[in-house]
Amino acid sequence: MTDLAQDRLRLAVAAVMAAAALLWWATAGFFGHELIAQVAIFAIFAMSLDLLVGTAGMVSLGHAAFFGAGAYATAGLTVLLGWPAWLALPASMVVAGLLAVVVGAFAVRLAGVFFIMITLAIGEMVHAYLFRSRTFGGDDGLGGIPRPDLGALGLTLDDPSHFSLAVLTLALLVYLGLRQVVGSPFGQVLAGIHRNEARMRALGCPVRHYKLAAFTLAGAIAGLAGSLAAQHNNFISPELVTWTTSGEALIVVIVGGMGTLVGPVAGAAAVILAGHYLSGLTEYWMFFMGLMFVAVVLIAGDGLQGALERLARRFGRAAG
Amino acid sequence: MRILFGLALALIAGLPAPAGAGDPIRIGVVLPFSGVYAALGGDITDGMMLAFETFGDTVAGRRIELIREDSEVKPSVGLTKTKKLVYQDQVDLLVGPVASNVAGAMRDFVHNAEIPLIVPNAGNNLLTGERCSPWVIRTSFSNDQINRGMGGWLFDKGYRSLYLLAADYAAGHQMMAAVKRSFTAAGGAIVGEEYPPLRETKDFAPYLAKIKAAKPDAMYVFFAGGPAIQFVKQVHDFGLKKEIALTGAGWLTSPLFLPAEGAAAVGFTGALNYVPSIDSDENRQFQNAFQEKHGRVGSEFTVQGYDTARLIVEALEITGGATDDKAALVAAMHQVSFTGPRGPLRIDPATNNVIQDIYVFETRQVGYAVKQVVIDKMEAVQDPPNGCRMEVGRG
Repeated sequence: MTDLAQDRLRLAVAAVMAAAALLWWATAGFFGHELIAQVAIFAIFAMSLDLLVGTAGMVSLGHAAFFGAGAYATAGLTVLLGWPAWLALPASMVVAGLLAVVVGAFAVRLAGVFFIMITLAIGEMVHAYLFRSRTFGGDDGLGGIPRPDLGALGLTLDDPSHFSLAVLTLALLVYLGLRQVVGSPFGQVLAGIHRNEARMRALGCPVRHYKLAAFTLAGAIAGLAGSLAAQHNNFISPELVTWTTSGEALIVVIVGGMGTLVGPVAGAAAVILAGHYLSGLTEYWMFFMGLMFVAVVLIAGDGLQGALERLARRFGRAAG
Repeated sequence: MRILFGLALALIAGLPAPAGAGDPIRIGVVLPFSGVYAALGGDITDGMMLAFETFGDTVAGRRIELIREDSEVKPSVGLTKTKKLVYQDQVDLLVGPVASNVAGAMRDFVHNAEIPLIVPNAGNNLLTGERCSPWVIRTSFSNDQINRGMGGWLFDKGYRSLYLLAADYAAGHQMMAAVKRSFTAAGGAIVGEEYPPLRETKDFAPYLAKIKAAKPDAMYVFFAGGPAIQFVKQVHDFGLKKEIALTGAGWLTSPLFLPAEGAAAVGFTGALNYVPSIDSDENRQFQNAFQEKHGRVGSEFTVQGYDTARLIVEALEITGGATDDKAALVAAMHQVSFTGPRGPLRIDPATNNVIQDIYVFETRQVGYAVKQVVIDKMEAVQDPPNGCRMEVGRG
């Protein structure tokens, strides 16, 4: 399969998923809309991590720190400082992005397992700080976070159906935006660094600057997801920043298919929906979830989207 | 998870039919059935089940049905399960959770959805203080309520200096603040305070050495779970209790942890809203019934579940089984008052926190067993409003 065909397939998968999400949205009840919002937020978070892991080859176990930074910034700006929520949303992305610049300045100097360790350590530092922070309610968390007032657009975001539609739209925009980034010269350089960092450096590419830029962009988008999560739950707590949140996103990226963007979205939907329905069936749902992950990784080492593309390739050869 | 406890008929998810006579009364239960607080979730559920057996599981022809969901002690999971119970299962009221962070996440949603939530544990002061809601009723305690009286009590017993030691999380700080305020108001001095990291501290020796050097009359501590067991054993091995009295919030030697602590727990003076050795007919009946059914001592958590279910049954009897008018249901809960295993009990309409007796007990060796022996009682302890203003609507 050519790159062009692969790209078309991904776009087609994205279109199918967007259509399925809209169809579900149109038919869902209150709780369905809650689930849609949850899936869309997690999908944004997973896509931001995919930019790091899949495109740039930087495996981070501390990505939840930026998710949390976005959530806590939204809570701090709205609840503690009284900012309007529509302003807090972009401001939270800036805060998360700035944190990513600072963290990234250290982290991008390292590669491989050392990069994993430093991101994990910094994620835990952020968690430890928030767990003890009196300002943000410590482990008890902070409530009363408002959603933006979009009455001017005829939207009532306190209504789950409007909120889920807004979040869904944002997820689609993030997908289209990241698709552009990955396809741009900047994205191509990141992919090159992923494939062979030494050669890129030998070609005179300022590798660290590119990595830092990717890290910052991923952090800012994770901050967007965090801000939306804070608005969705009207509540924040250090739970958002635990390393298991990072780990879960990493699993979603791997299971969905690294570097494909649509794969992690499908993975996010699968994990949240399977988690919801399995936990209704059995107390040991995590066991079955684990089995599913093992099965996917064993059968399709390149994730769900990777398996689909291989299938399309074989089908294409047979047809052609 | 949908487990119906033999109380109820099978439930088909998402029945939108309006509630009427003969329809079951659906109670959504959000408790931890996995994770660090699974034992507490189990105790509360067992207590509720016993109460429904004792006080009836049918009110005005409507059977009470529980729909149980696991909060996993995660705020976001607890909130999602709460939304599922309200939107999909259309429950009439909610019970839960154990942890204050999960309660914080559920609070805004139930407040805006105007669904009564009966809290059978989470002690965060704010939940019936600044962040109180007409729809959030607490049958357990506030962190302040348990500890506030102990400052004065210890001073009256002749203690003049205290050293505070608690796990470093919101509950630990709230409890220490309560005792600090009342002890200094009485004229005592706090000579030091330390907050070891929650669940990470295995070795308390550095803290115990500091306390020994500070020579207070007593130390006042709060730990629960694994750290409580480790702390009690290490204080005992250190021999510190001979010089400095060990006092604190009563969970340190809860019946859940006593079997592991054993004789090391002897000599602790604590305050709590319930201990199994309370000398009353209501408590004896409760303990006999519970021990016969489950073969273990009913803990304070069991009693909180038991009283929660009883409050619900009695309130439903006042409304004649009607659940559609939620304000009337909450008003009925304000009218209910009864004497349960822990003594007289009612809900304070000003804060929606429970008004109850607080017991001062000492852990003593009684025969071969280590028991919490009641030595004093503070009657009808009621929280001040603490910034609570009941507002209907968004808040």
